[in-house]
Amino acid sequence: MPVTESNLLPPDLMAQLERLELVTRKVFRGRMKGERRSKRKGQSVEFADFRSYVPGDDLRSLDWNLYARLDKLIIKLFLEEEDLHFFTLIDSSLSMGFGTPTKLEYAKQLAAALGFVGLIRTDRVRIETLGQLSNQHGPVLRGRKSVWRMLEYLNSIEAGETTSLATGVKNFCLRNAGKGIVVLISDLMDKAGYESALRFLVSQRVDVYVIQVLSQEEIDPDVKGDLKLVDVEDQDIAEITVSAPLLARYKSTLNAFVGGAQEFCNRRGMNYLLANNQTPVKDLIGSYLRRRGLVR
Amino acid sequence: MLEFFYNTLSPWQWGLLALVPPAILALYFLKLKRQPLEVPSTYLWKRSIEDMHVNSLWQRLRQNLLLFLQLLLVALAMLALLRPGWESSKLDGQRFIFLVDNSESMSSTDIDGAKNRLEEAKKLVGGLIDQMDSGMTAMLVSFADTPQVVQEFTNNRRLLRERLETIEPTVRGTDLKGALELADGLANPSRMPIQEGDKEIDVVEAQPATVYIFSDGRFENVKGFSLGNLKPYYIPLGSLEAKNLAITAFTTRRGDAHPERRQAFVQVANFTEAAHKATVELQLDGSFLDAKEVDVPANESAGVVFALADAPPGKLMAKLKYELDTPTKHDVLEQDDIGYAALNDQKPGRVLVVTPGNVALEVALATERAHKLGNIEFQKPDVLTGDTYKRDAESGAYSLIVYDQCAPASAPRSNTLYIGRVPPGRAWRGGDKADAKEDSKSKSEVGKAAADEALPKTSGPQIVDWDRSHPILASVELGNVEIADSIVLQPPPGATVLIDSTAGPIAAVAPRDSYQDAVLGFEIFGQGVDGARTANTNWPRMLSFPTFCLNTLEYLAGGTEDSQLASTRPGQPVELRTTGKVSELTVVDPSKKEHAVRRTAQDVFQFQNTSEVGVYDVKRGDQVVERFAVNLFDRQESDVRVRPTQGGEASTIQPADIKIGNIEVQATLGQTPSRFEAWKIVLGCALFVLILEWYIYNRRVYL
Repeated sequence: MPVTESNLLPPDLMAQLERLELVTRKVFRGRMKGERRSKRKGQSVEFADFRSYVPGDDLRSLDWNLYARLDKLIIKLFLEEEDLHFFTLIDSSLSMGFGTPTKLEYAKQLAAALGFVGLIRTDRVRIETLGQLSNQHGPVLRGRKSVWRMLEYLNSIEAGETTSLATGVKNFCLRNAGKGIVVLISDLMDKAGYESALRFLVSQRVDVYVIQVLSQEEIDPDVKGDLKLVDVEDQDIAEITVSAPLLARYKSTLNAFVGGAQEFCNRRGMNYLLANNQTPVKDLIGSYLRRRGLVR
Repeated sequence: MLEFFYNTLSPWQWGLLALVPPAILALYFLKLKRQPLEVPSTYLWKRSIEDMHVNSLWQRLRQNLLLFLQLLLVALAMLALLRPGWESSKLDGQRFIFLVDNSESMSSTDIDGAKNRLEEAKKLVGGLIDQMDSGMTAMLVSFADTPQVVQEFTNNRRLLRERLETIEPTVRGTDLKGALELADGLANPSRMPIQEGDKEIDVVEAQPATVYIFSDGRFENVKGFSLGNLKPYYIPLGSLEAKNLAITAFTTRRGDAHPERRQAFVQVANFTEAAHKATVELQLDGSFLDAKEVDVPANESAGVVFALADAPPGKLMAKLKYELDTPTKHDVLEQDDIGYAALNDQKPGRVLVVTPGNVALEVALATERAHKLGNIEFQKPDVLTGDTYKRDAESGAYSLIVYDQCAPASAPRSNTLYIGRVPPGRAWRGGDKADAKEDSKSKSEVGKAAADEALPKTSGPQIVDWDRSHPILASVELGNVEIADSIVLQPPPGATVLIDSTAGPIAAVAPRDSYQDAVLGFEIFGQGVDGARTANTNWPRMLSFPTFCLNTLEYLAGGTEDSQLASTRPGQPVELRTTGKVSELTVVDPSKKEHAVRRTAQDVFQFQNTSEVGVYDVKRGDQVVERFAVNLFDRQESDVRVRPTQGGEASTIQPADIKIGNIEVQATLGQTPSRFEAWKIVLGCALFVLILEWYIYNRRVYL
């Protein structure tokens, strides 16, 4: 089914998202003036501090009242308002092409929704995939007018990249040195492990959200009989005979995997969220992500 | 072990079957085709499998659950083919004849765990059939009063079983000899004895066969039968102390004092060791008529008489009601607690007396009693040429026609009494010796036929003897009777001579078709040579003459009807009489089925289908003209106790052996070869396994 814009971002979802904004626990410096308080002092209406005048300061910010009283040149400092760098990193490997809707599609919807929130709050939104090379940037989006550009870009993403999770994340970090919020949407199913990839993100000192998308078929497999399972990415084969203990074992393995990922993230100050492709994006953002503090 | 299993397949069939389990195994391990399925990642699966491999043997077993179920299924099927069973003894011989008694007594319900003795017999025969090997053949014969081949020799056990089920209980007596003869004949059909001097030589050597007789032993010892190569086993069925009360006779008859009033007589027999009180209920066409209580001493019978008064014609049923000390309060055989009798129209017979004038006869037949027995008409001999007489005589309108000093051209359809003449036809004229001319002459002449001249005559015969036992001459004393002239009779074969004289028989009675012709050779009044009427005998002056007339009237004009059709045994043919000229009668049997009956070549109606007990209606058109009853009334069959051994010790009382020819056949009680077959259960288990396998395969029930 071709993914349409309305599919990615239905109007009712848009209406719901209008009321939200992205939150970061860390206060980062943006490059442009935004709608967000910054650590930096700057021009705004909100008072921050006083300091002595040094030559070169803007005379407009002198506190003339204090000069009259104390005969000293004191400068009034105001809090600067700035924008937020919001990155969405989508895993578009072959394994993401499974499920109904496919995990990739689900990831795109999620990215679109979060991106939309960022755009309407005039944050800097950048959506990239793991497969991009280190010098290949995704478009930088800003402002409500860029929503359609974002959706267009998302639509162009297709499953089929073969870059491993670690390499993809490493390239991303090389490309984007700035601070901000990084949302990694992936199934984390990499035979080499997800740990090294996530470590790259930790070292970036960005606010990291890891959303692990799993399809219903992976969470509760509906299989029977004697099967030859073929890995869609590396054509690896696993022969199984489905039985009750095997299914139980699979589930416990899955739980251990998910639990392991969550613990790994929590220990490193990253936020982890498991998303089932059957949970509507609307619910996920409206309740889960809100509770986790990504949006407000 | 041989008894536990019976081989049903030949070695090569077993060989084929033995290939099945390896084939299943091969299919499982060699050609296990796993369905390929693409998954996002085998990452988690691989890790799961690795964990599972820790206890791999048990896992392997569990994974192959379906395989084991399939192997179990095949194993069960093979076990079923081995026909496991127990409590068996091997059949003796290669050819078997199963004689199953299905007489009335076999309907007795004194067998625990079976509906009646016949069902038990069928069960036992079924057990024997199951034990037959493929090389053995068997024949099924059911017997009551006639044997019937249920199934010829065959080795098809299924067919034998099917045919066995078709044996139904009957209401007949028992005749073992007929069954044995039939079995012998069929067992060795090509046995042709050749007589050579005194010796008999069998052309083909008889093949041995084993005869199993399943019966309750209610029959006489078989005499005059040689078993030859038949090896008999007798399996008595039933208990020694089966209790039964039965109606053994049920008739209607004229009352002694009032012949116009009828009575019903019921005889109740008690075949138990204790006296019982029973109530006999009489029903007419299903409605209650009368009931009487009767005390029947142990092992004896008692009679009870019901006055029927002027009961309308219909179907009489006598029902025995009693309470025994058995759990069911009933006796073991309920079929014989009911008796049937037919109550027909009591029509006084029409009697025609054709006489030129006979005072003695007229006076003798003028009594009140005579009129009760029949409507007596007197006619002159010239009536014999009239159309009215011819029509009535042909249609059988009269029950008796008396020809005094005259004879008809042809015999009428009724009983006749000829006085001083012989009946037309050759039978009374020395049979074949009389030629056809006489016959034609006698047809053309009426009255004193010229043929009579040819008959031997005698003058002044002396009565030597007379048949006092015959009903016609009952209480008739002929001691002083003198006779002037008489014809010496030449009675046809089968006739009974009533009066014998010095010259030969002068009175006789003979049957003609279904009628009786009585002939007095001498006239009462005759014409002398001068043509004057003179008395020929002094008999009319004796007391015995009116007695004779009344006897004749009673015997030939009626009164015998009821007793004649009192009760027919099932299977016996019934001869139906009808007045009037009809070509077809309809008989309605007790189950309301209609049978058309046509005249046979002998010009009588004969009805054969009397297999059911009950009252049969004979219909002419829509009108019921007559009824007759069919009952078994067989004391042998009603005495359902299995015959005990004579003179044996009281503590070890056993069923009696039977004697066939000179050979005592031991009663093999309790040693009947029978076998509990387990293959059905095994096959049931196999079916269950199959269903379980299907369920596991389709419903994903994982262990």
